[in-house]
Parts: sequence; structure tokens; C-alpha cells
Amino acid sequence: MKHPQRLSRLERQALPSVYLFILPTLLIFLVFYLTPILTVLVTAFTRWDGFNAPAFIGFENFAKLFARESFRYALRNLSLWGLIAMTLHVLIGVVVAFLLFDRFKGWKAVRAVYMIPNVISAAAWAMIYRFVFNNDYGLLNNLIRSVNPAFSVNWFYESPAAFAAITYTWLFYAVIVTLLVLADLMAVPQELYEAATIDGASGFQVTRHIKLPLCRNAIGTAVICSGTARISMYEAISLTTRGGPGNDTMNLPILLVNSISDMRYGMANAIALIMFVIGIILLVFVKRAFRLNDPAT
Amino acid sequence: MIKTRNAGYYVYRTFGYAFLLFIVAVSVFPLLWVILSSFKSNGAILSSPFSLPDTFGFDAYASVLRQYDLLHYFVNSLVVSIVPTFGSLLIYAMGAYVIAKYRFPGKNLFYALFTLTLLVPGHTRTQPIFSIIMNLSLYDTKTGLMLVYLSGGLAMSMFILRATFLSVPYELNEAATIDGAGFLRTFMTVILPLSKTGLSTAGVMMFLGNWNEYFYAALLTSSPANRTLPVALSFFNQAFSYDYTRMFAALTIVVLPGILLYVFAQEQVTASVASSGIKG
Repeated sequence: MKHPQRLSRLERQALPSVYLFILPTLLIFLVFYLTPILTVLVTAFTRWDGFNAPAFIGFENFAKLFARESFRYALRNLSLWGLIAMTLHVLIGVVVAFLLFDRFKGWKAVRAVYMIPNVISAAAWAMIYRFVFNNDYGLLNNLIRSVNPAFSVNWFYESPAAFAAITYTWLFYAVIVTLLVLADLMAVPQELYEAATIDGASGFQVTRHIKLPLCRNAIGTAVICSGTARISMYEAISLTTRGGPGNDTMNLPILLVNSISDMRYGMANAIALIMFVIGIILLVFVKRAFRLNDPAT
Repeated sequence: MIKTRNAGYYVYRTFGYAFLLFIVAVSVFPLLWVILSSFKSNGAILSSPFSLPDTFGFDAYASVLRQYDLLHYFVNSLVVSIVPTFGSLLIYAMGAYVIAKYRFPGKNLFYALFTLTLLVPGHTRTQPIFSIIMNLSLYDTKTGLMLVYLSGGLAMSMFILRATFLSVPYELNEAATIDGAGFLRTFMTVILPLSKTGLSTAGVMMFLGNWNEYFYAALLTSSPANRTLPVALSFFNQAFSYDYTRMFAALTIVVLPGILLYVFAQEQVTASVASSGIKG
């Protein structure tokens, strides 16, 4: 049915009800999304303690941030974690998706089990990892000690180990990547894979020339999701290292929350703005790299 | 179809099984270890971390629920998860419904704005939301937290619910109107009952998000009276220093509801986890 350009009498009669229905959603959007985003955008350039009116200070917050060692560490960590997330983490998820698609025995059970870390609270997961990495009774060190009895590392409290420990808490849990890629693989008619195999393509060739290009969109989306998730990672750090030792595992949300506690709201929103901009840059960059808006080739 | 099984095939199968085994191990071992340890004595946890418990007694569970008041935090979590879930489900369903089914000036703009919120990284709105709750004098209240949770999941709910309402035939609206049903009645008695799948997916997504939420719960509440389970977790170390059995019992109580929900609503939870990635 093709609608005429102008609203019919019936449609005009419904308008008050229609706007009444959309009003609550619109209110939530205005109060909890639009106003906060505009507030961040404006007050990132001010000195503001929440009591006195914000005072415009240009880029001073940003200059101060870049002068702080903790902030530079946060940026360094975000770059490293982002890079690991967009490569190794995505690769793990993609490999699992391809293996599941090849119908290994028990693949449904594996998919079900792989979901579990994602349905429980990130706070609980961080606590669990605190025990897993405990030097005395922890799961990991006792496992290592069964081979090397002298092994002793206080994961969350020692210098290079803490960064690795935080990375472990999310690195292998790529079920979102797996679900995205698996959905794309399953959307293709099975005959296509069979035809290629009959034509003499090897398993590797089918993967390289048919399967991978077909899930380009899913992989691109997965790269964006995995990368941006690193920007707002909070529980895994706040409940374990709190950014330490030193600034080894510092990140932007920890600094943001600290600034709010210190009543430096302008500073907090400067950090928020930086997170926002990094997110947008990542999105645009990955979309270009994966040609996400183009039709499948 | 005849498959040639060369050496490469077997290498691939072996590698595949090994890799999947590793994935299963990292996904369940930490959790299984925590749950099993909650039945062991403190001494056994320290001296033999991999041994199985001798008996399955629930003393530690009874003790944390009563002494540490975990039951109270459990109820708090339930309240701040369920109330906003139903509230926002109704609100977003109303919004998504008119966007899916009606033409009106501003419709495309609204839809674009609502779904674009997906691009805002988590935690960037923290300070303004903190101030809103402070200014409403709702700091350290369940109401304040519920208000924030009400606003969660706007974009994903719009995606899911609009698609759901679009799949309900438009003729049903016309038929209901001809039968004399008003706008509200058509929505409540004709459209909503036909949209259970989408509503349950969005509902499970929001409930799970609220149940597991830690960031705002830690930021916006301070007193034990308004504490939720994930926040209570962070106080465990003070509460039971070196009492690992009870710590593990409490941890099990916190993670179990999410897992149970997953067991009983696998499809919806899978959809919601898939979307939570896109949300992040």
C-alpha cells in the first residue's frame, strides 16, 4: 500500500494520541541523552565544581589532562587494549564461529557454555578473576605450580603482570563476535559451500575466498564493538587493580569517576568528551576499512 | 558428497577440538571452581584448591543470607531490575508502536535521534546523570537508580520493538478501528498481545542489564539500605576477610540468577547478549 504524501483525515485525527504515545520516550531522550551530551560538550571547556557557575577556560582541562601521567597511561592502555581487542580478541571469536559452523561434535553445547561469562555481572566476573589470580589459593597459579612448584606471581599487584591479568579478564570471552559472525555464515545457503567443494575447492580455499568475504560486515561490526567496549571498561579494573600498580592499568572511566568524586566536573566531562571522540573516530575508521556501508562484494 | 580425508583434515579437526576445549575451559572453570569451593572448608580451599568438596552442605549459604543481609540486597536488586524493566518496556513500546505504525511530522527525526544514542559510548554521560539525580535529591535512593535504569537500552529497544510492530499486519489496526476500538485499546488489546516475542526479547535484555549493573549502582547509592547485589560484592573483602567459603557462597548467589535466566530463556538471552555488544 502506497501512502499519499499528505496525511489523511484519519491520520490527522490520530495525531494527538500519536504524540502522546511518543512523549515519554522523547522525555527520556531529552533528559537522559540530549541534555547530558550537550552538557558534556559545553562544560568540558569550563572549570566547574557543581556549586558555582561553570567558568569558561578554553582547552585548559585538556592541557592539564595531557600533562598528567595517569592520563597518558590511560591513553596508552586504551590503545594497547583496543588493538588487542580489535585483532586477537576478534580473531578468537571468528575462529570459534568457524569451528562451530563446521559442526564439531557438541558445537551447540560449546555455544551455550561460551555465553555464560556474558550473562553474569561484570562486577561478579571481576571478583571471580580476583580469586582466580590469587597467588596463594588461586586457580591459575596452582595450575602453574603443578608444573613449576616455585612459581609465584601476585597478578593484580605486580608491574607487568597486572596489565596482562586485566587483559585476561576479557580477552578470551568473544562470544559477541562469534554470534555476529555465525549469524552471517548461517545466512548463506549451504549449497554455495557444497558447490565450491564439488568444484574442487579445498577447505582452506572455501574459507579464504567464500566464507571470509561473506562475513566481512559481521567482522567489521565485531571490530567496532570490541574496540569501543574497551573505552568504557570499568568493573574489571575498579574492582581489581583500581588502575595500579602505579598507573599500569589506568583507564579513562576510572579517571572520570575520580574527577567526579573530586568535584571537578569540567575535568570529568573533558575526559567524557575524549572518550566520545575516540569512539566516533574508531567507528568511522573501521567502517571505512571494512567498507561497511557498501553492498557485499 | 565424498570427502577426501588427507592429513590436513585431521590436523584441522585436532586443532579445532583443542581450541574449543580451551574455550569451554576458560568459560566454565573459573565459575565451576567458585561454586565448588563454596561447599569446601576454608582450610580445604587453601590447601587443596582442586579437590572436590567432601559434602554438599548449605551452611555457608544460610549464613551469608542471614548474617551479611544478602537477602536484603537480593530483594533490592530484584526491585531495581524489575520495576524499570516494565516501565521502560511500556514507554518504549508506545514510542516504537507509533513510529512503526503511524505517519506524523517528525517521525523520521525521532527515530534517527533515538537510535543514534547507540553511538554514545557507555559512561560518557556519567557526570550529567549524577548531577540530575543529585538535583532531584534522589542520591542514595532506589528511586534515583530506577530512574537511570529506566533510560537504559533506548536504542536497542527501539530497534527490536519497531521491527516487532512492523511485522504485525496493518489491517489489524484498521479492523480494530472499524470495530470502534480507540487508539489506546487497539494498542493494549490487539497489538501488544501479538508482539510477545519482541517484548520478551527487549524485556530480558533490559532486566539482565539492570540486574548486572554495577557502575551507576556504585555511583548513586551509598547506604546498605539501597545496596544492590553487584555493589554488595565489592564490600565482600571487608565483610569476610579470609572467610573464603562464605565469600564464594555469596558470589554464587549473585551469579546464579543470570545463569538460570539464561537456561530458561536461552533465545532471548542470546539475542540480548548479541545486542549488548552492539550497545557497547
